[in-house]
Amino acid sequence: MRGFMMKDLAMIKSNFKLLAILIIVYAVMGVTDEMDISFILPFMSVMVMISSFSYDEFNKWESYASTFPNGRKNSVRAKYLITILLILLMAVITTVLSLFIAHSKTSSLAYENILLTTLGNIFATIIVLSLMYPIIYKLGIEKARIAIFVTIFGIAIIGGILINYVDLAKFLNVLSPLENYWVFIIIGLGIVFIYTSYRLSLHFLLKKEF
Amino acid sequence: MEIIISNSNGIPIYEQIKEQIKNKIISGELKENELLPSIRALAKDLRCSVITTKNAYEELEREGYVKGIPAKGFYVAKINRDLAREEQLNKIQDLLDSAITIAKTNKITKKTIVEMLDILYLEDE
Amino acid sequence: MKNILEVKNLNKKYDDFALKNITFDLPKGMIMGFIGENGAGKTTTIKAILNIIKKDSGEIKIFGLDSKRDEGKIKEDIGVVLDDMFYPEILTPNDINNSMKYIYKNWDEKMFNSYLKDFSLNPKQQIKKFSKGMRKKLEIATALAHHPKLLILDEPTSGLDPIARSEIIDIFQDFIQDEECSILLSSHITTDLERIADYITFINDGEIVLSKTCDELLDKYGIVKCREKEFKDINKEDYVKYKKDRYGYEVLVENKRDFKKRYDVEVIDKITLDDLMLLMIKGVK
Repeated sequence: MRGFMMKDLAMIKSNFKLLAILIIVYAVMGVTDEMDISFILPFMSVMVMISSFSYDEFNKWESYASTFPNGRKNSVRAKYLITILLILLMAVITTVLSLFIAHSKTSSLAYENILLTTLGNIFATIIVLSLMYPIIYKLGIEKARIAIFVTIFGIAIIGGILINYVDLAKFLNVLSPLENYWVFIIIGLGIVFIYTSYRLSLHFLLKKEF
Repeated sequence: MEIIISNSNGIPIYEQIKEQIKNKIISGELKENELLPSIRALAKDLRCSVITTKNAYEELEREGYVKGIPAKGFYVAKINRDLAREEQLNKIQDLLDSAITIAKTNKITKKTIVEMLDILYLEDE
Repeated sequence: MKNILEVKNLNKKYDDFALKNITFDLPKGMIMGFIGENGAGKTTTIKAILNIIKKDSGEIKIFGLDSKRDEGKIKEDIGVVLDDMFYPEILTPNDINNSMKYIYKNWDEKMFNSYLKDFSLNPKQQIKKFSKGMRKKLEIATALAHHPKLLILDEPTSGLDPIARSEIIDIFQDFIQDEECSILLSSHITTDLERIADYITFINDGEIVLSKTCDELLDKYGIVKCREKEFKDINKEDYVKYKKDRYGYEVLVENKRDFKKRYDVEVIDKITLDDLMLLMIKGVK
């Protein structure tokens, strides 16, 4: 599995300059404008991972890798581990940048707010990627683009409808006993999401014919 | 050891290899008990398949020119000079037969043929 | 274990194409040329052997082990070069080395680097900047550097100039200097195979037409060239296929010496793999 991770790392590394420039640009925009740069985390993570799938598919890497010992299994595992590492790295970068920007604007630091935003972003990124990966493994990145769009759009619409029809205050009220634990709940849910997604992806790739 | 292979003369490659090694043994260029190149090394050098060189060696072994020792390779066998000579004589006879056939169908006399033979023999020396 | 690879009654059905009862054996220490026109089923067969696709039925044994059940173990000892499948092209040979050394237990960094040197491949250059020939060489170096016992190569010499092809064929012959190692090599460039292949397996329209030693094929088979009058005298069971053109008949016979004894024909030509393929595919019985 480590070999597969090395390969994914090398791919990220070969785009390192572009990523660094983007981050710097956003950071500068964050300082000069009133822009909230926390979007870097989900945006960059999804972008990097999607492009890694595109590179893979262009050279039919998955089918080549299926000729390695335990190639398919290790390939999926490595992708998920790299994703988690990438999200954590992005989380650190956005948190540090946000703190730095906040510090440059006001003297009082809202640590808690920034950390909570990061946590929320990590969760959102995990959900998006966890939904995407099984679709990519099932359909390939080209076809998956449409499916992913439909899925995310669908979730947004369903969410929108729910918010309109469900009494939000009442809903939150029901959840209120959990108020003190929600950080753990989010982390727990994130892990469940990733794991379920991993099992699905593995299932699809093991059955896949190239 | 030099072996020259033609792709276009119609003779199977294994036979070309066999004949050339045989000639080298008869002429004494390859000496008794000399180790021949391995089947695989020879195949690589001649750019032919392993089965081709294997066939050549096996035929040579059948005809008694080399002996194969398992896990070691093929060595030049002690050859019966008389037998080898016999074989070569047979070959010459076959060729002379064809020459005579041509001579007879074209009404060329024995004398002419013998003269020709004398001249050719001298030229070669 | 005599055979490194055994394929028995392999079947795989698609909507518009099927592999039908593919059966052949590759003994150890040998090179097998796998020939057939494009779309005949060479790549599909190779993919089934490697479990890149799933077979519908049949048995595939590699190193005497079941290709599915012992897949992990088997694949440690297989090296592949597949058409259009490789590491993503933004990577460099160095990246491949750093990845492969954790993928194969026997990965030989030194060997890989020495191949890079022999082939004059810059280890720091992205794959996409290599020419087609250099890329193939990189793929071959990658396939060899974990000391596999079986090399499976799908069109490894296509797109290469004669010099590069000759270099690569040298490497293949070096590879089988170890008599435990075998090569299955698909190609439509038959001249490369005619000399170095020990066995020829010929696939047409999803079926194995023949699988024989190359010497036997080239020695025994022949092409009879004759006129209509002579052709009419030939018994149906005495030839494999024939092709008729404006000037006469080309008849493929399985044993040219026997044929010569039985029939009085002027021309019986030596066969090449190209002739064989052409007559087998285009000829009629």
